[in-house]
Amino acid sequence: MNPSLKLALVVLIALEISFTQVWTVNVALIVISLVILGLNRIHIRTLVWLTVVPLFFASALIWSLMLRGNATPHFLIVLFTRMFVYVYLGATFTQTTVPLELTRSLEQNAKLPAKFAYGFLAAFNLFPKIKAEVATVHAAAMMRGQVLHFWSPQLYFKVILTAMNWSDQLASAMMSHGFVEWAPRTYAINVPLRTRDWVIFGASLLLVQIGLFIGLP
Amino acid sequence: MKQWHVRDIILVTILAIFMGVIFWVTGPVYTVLAAALTPFGLQPMANDMLLGLWCMAGPLAGFIIRIAGAATLGELLGSIVEMFLGGMWGASTLISGIVQGVGAELGFAFTGYKRYNWMTLVLSALTTTLVTFGWDFFRSGYNKYQFGFMMLLLLTRFVSVFIFGGVLTKLITNLLGRAHVLSPRIRA
Repeated sequence: MNPSLKLALVVLIALEISFTQVWTVNVALIVISLVILGLNRIHIRTLVWLTVVPLFFASALIWSLMLRGNATPHFLIVLFTRMFVYVYLGATFTQTTVPLELTRSLEQNAKLPAKFAYGFLAAFNLFPKIKAEVATVHAAAMMRGQVLHFWSPQLYFKVILTAMNWSDQLASAMMSHGFVEWAPRTYAINVPLRTRDWVIFGASLLLVQIGLFIGLP
Repeated sequence: MKQWHVRDIILVTILAIFMGVIFWVTGPVYTVLAAALTPFGLQPMANDMLLGLWCMAGPLAGFIIRIAGAATLGELLGSIVEMFLGGMWGASTLISGIVQGVGAELGFAFTGYKRYNWMTLVLSALTTTLVTFGWDFFRSGYNKYQFGFMMLLLLTRFVSVFIFGGVLTKLITNLLGRAHVLSPRIRA
């Protein structure tokens, strides 16, 4: 399915179930998501990870509401299943899409300006360097006997200076490779937006609406 | 009004990733705190106590890159990065990102993107608290809490956002100001 439409669909459904209280639809969404994940051969370890951690948070939230709140059992079931819809439904997107595909599709299909698409990609691909930089900043401070915590302004200060430096360099590098912000671009790889994508998108949304509003518990 | 350039976009994204990585390092703090508070039914307190840290990218980006939408974009891009790098909440991270970003953005918008001082950050902390609380009110069932506990959560959240998004952000921008890296942007 087209990445932009897929993202829109997942976000819309997540938004809608946040404001509605039909647990049967939540369960249906969980089952469908698990089937999709299964068809895409998700690793068992990922699946266990995606189940155990939310299980803790969902249970803790329910427990808290039972102790300090006045929610009905129905509402608690809705809330419990809702957490898992977020996780599994989200995973159907992240497990089947890579950032490059999404940015290409957003640029071509959703008409996102190229400077945003490529600016984001440039920064995203720095991730390993960014991780190393945080470790370096910590280590450098340790050598001077300073321990930087997540509440230390110095930590953020150093990191922001690096970010400013790198963004200057990356932007210059892109310019020197011929990237012009406002110039029209052609695409080496086209991301198709087929009728089929729209049909899946519309039908899925329609099904969710039917499920939510025919009076299921 | 100042336009977005590719340099600003990269800066906002790198900033967001940095914040994400720093937060990641503190990940155990949240889990331990949540686990410790759970038996007392106080797990949401852990969430609200550390929420300010999650929301820091917004005010920081808004303060450093003084363009309309910087705070929103900072949070949104941060959430996209988190989504792809193994954040488990998937697409709902995006919604949270937008909600937190808009919350922080409102504070800057109320000053017309003209003033960048204490007041702006306090205002931004206030709007962030209200907007994100409104979201949790529905999403996480906060509307079903007893009134007193609900207010306690709201207060905790504001203190957290104020400390991280207000005080800490102010301290950081003070350092940046002394290093004269903010000045050319102020004139822009």
